[in-house]
Amino acid sequence: MGAVACDVFEDELKVQSPVALPEDLVKGKENWYATLCRTGPSSEGVVVRVIEGRAKKIQGNPNYPTNLGAQGVWSDLGLQQLYHPDRLSNPLRLNGEKASGRFDSITWGRALDEVSKALESRDGAVAMISPPMRGHSAVIADEFIKAFGGKRIEFESLDLKTYRSAIKNIFGQDIQPHYDIGNAEYVLSFGADFLSTWVSPTQWQVGYGEFRDSEHSHRGIMTHVDSRFSVTASNADRWIPITPGQEGKLALSIAYVIIEEQLYPSGVDVNSLTSGQGLSSLAAYSPENIGNQLGAPEHVLGAHSVPELIRTVAREFASHRPAIAIGGGTAGASTNGLFNLEAIYLLNHLVGSVGKEGGVILNPESPVKNLKATSNAHTLSDLEELIRDIKSSKIKMLIMNNVNPVYGSPDWIGLEAVLNSDDIYLVSIDSFMNETNQYADMILPDRNFIEDWGNDVPEPAAGYQTIGIQQPIVNPLSDMDPRSSSDVLLSLAQDLGKDGNMPWKSLEDALKGMSDELFELNRGSVSGSTKQEFWSNLLRQGGWWDKSAVGQDRSNISGLISKVIDKDKEPRLSGDGDFYLVPFLHNSLLDGRNGDMPWAQGTPDPITSVAWQTWIEINDKVANERGIREGDVIEVKSGASSITGIAFVSPAQPPSVISVPLGQGRTKGSAYATDRLDGESANVLDIIENNKIEGTEGLAWAATTVSITNTGESLRIAKFEGDYESREVGFTEGEELIKTTSPGDHDH
Amino acid sequence: MVVKIEHKWGMVVDLDKCTGCQGCVVACQAENNLPINTKDLFMQKRAFEWIRIERYWEGDFPNVKARYLPVMCQHCGNAPCEPVCPVYATYHNDQGLNVQVYNRCVGTRYCINNCTYQVRFFNFWEPTWPERLQNQLNPDVTVRTRGITEKCTFCVQRIRRAEITVERRERTKLNDKTMAARNFMPACVQACPTNALMFGDQNNKEDKIHGYFEELHGHDGHSDSRGYRILEEIGTDPSVIYLKKVDQFKMEHSESHG
Amino acid sequence: MIPKGNIVAATLVGLIVAGITGFILLVVAISWFSNAPFGLNDAPAQPIAFPHTAHAGTVEDGGLGMECEFCHRNVTKGDSATVPALQQCWYCHQKVSGGDEAAQAEIDKLVTAYSDGVPVNWERVHRLPDHVRFVHEAHIRHFTQGDTPETQLEVKEVCTVCHGEVAKMEEVQPKQFQSLKMGTCLDCHRKYDVPTDCTICHK
Repeated sequence: MGAVACDVFEDELKVQSPVALPEDLVKGKENWYATLCRTGPSSEGVVVRVIEGRAKKIQGNPNYPTNLGAQGVWSDLGLQQLYHPDRLSNPLRLNGEKASGRFDSITWGRALDEVSKALESRDGAVAMISPPMRGHSAVIADEFIKAFGGKRIEFESLDLKTYRSAIKNIFGQDIQPHYDIGNAEYVLSFGADFLSTWVSPTQWQVGYGEFRDSEHSHRGIMTHVDSRFSVTASNADRWIPITPGQEGKLALSIAYVIIEEQLYPSGVDVNSLTSGQGLSSLAAYSPENIGNQLGAPEHVLGAHSVPELIRTVAREFASHRPAIAIGGGTAGASTNGLFNLEAIYLLNHLVGSVGKEGGVILNPESPVKNLKATSNAHTLSDLEELIRDIKSSKIKMLIMNNVNPVYGSPDWIGLEAVLNSDDIYLVSIDSFMNETNQYADMILPDRNFIEDWGNDVPEPAAGYQTIGIQQPIVNPLSDMDPRSSSDVLLSLAQDLGKDGNMPWKSLEDALKGMSDELFELNRGSVSGSTKQEFWSNLLRQGGWWDKSAVGQDRSNISGLISKVIDKDKEPRLSGDGDFYLVPFLHNSLLDGRNGDMPWAQGTPDPITSVAWQTWIEINDKVANERGIREGDVIEVKSGASSITGIAFVSPAQPPSVISVPLGQGRTKGSAYATDRLDGESANVLDIIENNKIEGTEGLAWAATTVSITNTGESLRIAKFEGDYESREVGFTEGEELIKTTSPGDHDH
Repeated sequence: MVVKIEHKWGMVVDLDKCTGCQGCVVACQAENNLPINTKDLFMQKRAFEWIRIERYWEGDFPNVKARYLPVMCQHCGNAPCEPVCPVYATYHNDQGLNVQVYNRCVGTRYCINNCTYQVRFFNFWEPTWPERLQNQLNPDVTVRTRGITEKCTFCVQRIRRAEITVERRERTKLNDKTMAARNFMPACVQACPTNALMFGDQNNKEDKIHGYFEELHGHDGHSDSRGYRILEEIGTDPSVIYLKKVDQFKMEHSESHG
Repeated sequence: MIPKGNIVAATLVGLIVAGITGFILLVVAISWFSNAPFGLNDAPAQPIAFPHTAHAGTVEDGGLGMECEFCHRNVTKGDSATVPALQQCWYCHQKVSGGDEAAQAEIDKLVTAYSDGVPVNWERVHRLPDHVRFVHEAHIRHFTQGDTPETQLEVKEVCTVCHGEVAKMEEVQPKQFQSLKMGTCLDCHRKYDVPTDCTICHK
């Protein structure tokens, strides 16, 4: 009775008359607004549920072409980011030594004033680092930095430069294609963890759901080649383990079989592809020749030898059409990564699936003239060049635009050292403290995507012109004063008279201009009799798309196979460790960008069910031989550095591979990211050695070998599954938890 | 004017489409005000999720498989958790849902003990959120306190909203297409990117899941469908049907499965 | 000499009685000092002494005969009935003055709050605990759009079913009409043959 009232919030006992209320606001009633979600590897069209000015839930926008109402594990994270207790609310100015951690909260007026003065005095010696961006935020960032004579580096820990280059060489354009998995009969993928973290996972998952639908069509078949047992490998019908760097040879061997046994469809011009040499150009890649170099086990699913396995897969791939070959991830991360990816993607030409339904769908240019359909792919080499410029005082001011490269790059690159110096004026636009902006002179709090304007040309689009629009769904909380990064850059440029190429008052203004441009096109999914009506409908739908504005196949297949073969080189490996190191993006933390959100930390990894910690995946027999048990703290050492993590003994891990997820090892940030014991959290990027990919200079992050030592310490592993290995044992036949059936066994 | 509710809610999980991505897990946490699973909770084995993806190993390298099984409250027709609650905080309603009434629960945990599928969870600790994060909490769902047992409700708050809005206010029939279009599907079903989860009314012929339940009960003459229910031999009569995972290739030394 | 056993028994009984009495006193004390609507005392005074009689009361009674839903607008649309924004009060009271000095003082409080942009926090009179989800709109609809004369009332008549004759109340106090306890809800639900499933209100 009375005791109930003891525990009640004071506010519960009052009911408030606000000063004014919009006529159409119904209290307690929800509204859903469309926008774009930015916490995943690619942007997704989402709808956000708002009740009385508070965002409650994020779900997929059913109309948005790339995800069609689906969402990923990261989609709801925006809510925790928006309402995070450690989110920066006011501009912070360094008060003391760099990295002292002493910041004063100041007004925007003062902050912009000081940054403005810094820009003026360092004009011509400014640079910017941001994540890969598209849309008007990218245009504004580019024009801004150009106006001050500088460059913008689009930084990502595991860059996609090699993938883009491969696409360019094989399909004639670097606008990323869409893979129509939903209509395919066969998917042959190499290294790309496309069902979990690669490029646009929600988009691929939507297709995968249809791919496996045996109710309305044939069930598709998937073979996945990977150096580790990834989520995609676990869903494949056949997983082929392989030594990192050998993926290209395997792909060419499959090409050999397809040509030798004439399994290609009639429209394919093998003559042109091989410059008239036919099968002989691929002679070195016959399964019998290279089968035993690949590091693939002999008896995968009943095969008697690797050459037999290759022939089986090649026949399957070529006879179940339409078929798609996808490559990425580890396949593109050895020093010969470009060769590997090109060999993989040319298989699509060989089975005639380029530009066809169920195959590789090329994407068109963007419909808006100054919005590119691609972001730039810079690499660690570009970052190294920037560091040299800072050291030589060519660059005296650096703007970090929502990026954390000190954490996201290996220690040996030396970025931390150059930032920890008074010679560089560092401005960070971000929402949280992190390893990079601890060296900032000024931190400007950015708006969360739920509170901000924006747009995106999705990469990849779903095969036709698409522009996504992002709108502010809620206002920032009253005790927070973040400002949109694009608006901040615009106002700085305006104050200094450098906004010549940015004729907009604000980002919203720029978007309205884009809306008017789309209106003039007089086509597409948004209708409106006036520009104003068009704009409203654009926001309501969450974007504009035109299904008839498709891409073109600009591939030049002449001599393509020969050109690819010319690039074949053995992968170089660093160190003499006994294991290949295969790092990978974490299912929810990705490269660590979501580390501050408790939902991202507390979501178990699909394969290991570990949360909050860095685990070291070791093969169970290898662990047994070395006396390593789950929970042991293992030191993983490369030529560059060493890290420690908690051993996870896995029956699926290839014996010669050690896998470690990215995302942990944070030292600055919210407690959710940093509060860990010694030994259970590490940044695997620090042990990746300095190897570059031939032809693109991207980081070859699968070229490091490591050795492991049991430190003798042991910690409780934070995993969701029970303590005993999860296998179904002791069930009477017919009473298993997971029942399986063969294709065609059931009636539907 | 009285509207008799005759729905019988059920779910179908296609094991061949589930990729184990955990999208349903996070969506459920966001919708239902679940306590945050801190590292300490994991260490104590007290972390819980109303829907979880269980991963089972099969075979050994290189012919090893990981199979994903999404498990949530099965809303059993013959639920072992219902008869044992001393305060009648859990019961079976006329829509086939196993209902948990938070305000009545006193925390004996007898129901958790009895649950065949281990889908009931007890708040051993007081769930807390930093003040700012409380802005995200869903006002439609009670925030539980320490000492209360909770579990998946098939997002009953969304079902109730669907009934009030569509059936009573607009006086139209409710079906799974309407529910999906108007955000009334359970959060996990709505989130699943591969559409491995399906939800609907077993009694409604227009609903997609109706056919699966008919097949299961052998009403349409087909007995070789992919549908089955987990641990149904125990006799719990779950409302969740699983569709068998399709093994494209027979594994070496693999036992036949069902 | 009193035998030992009796002393022990007597002490035990004494302790038990004292315990029970103490517990009862404790419960009463807590209830007394708790806030309404659970406490035994009246609701605290409102920040502005708003008289329903003057606004919603019938013209015969000296009021303006305003409809309940004119101010409590959300009652036909959503879960909670809500109180109006200050702006709505100010529409009239920027010009309309009170009947006497006391009334005018209250109106001045309102006008000041509006012009200063300060919301008014009323003391909640009708409050259901957090685990109860009551939907006003469904109940209004049931009593206004039904088939029988009993369920074809005006909105303001429906309000009186639970809240009593608020139009005749100078100061609204809790528990002046229905107790708003679960028993009341169930009795009515059973009477009108509406579902009594727990999840209708408790989710």
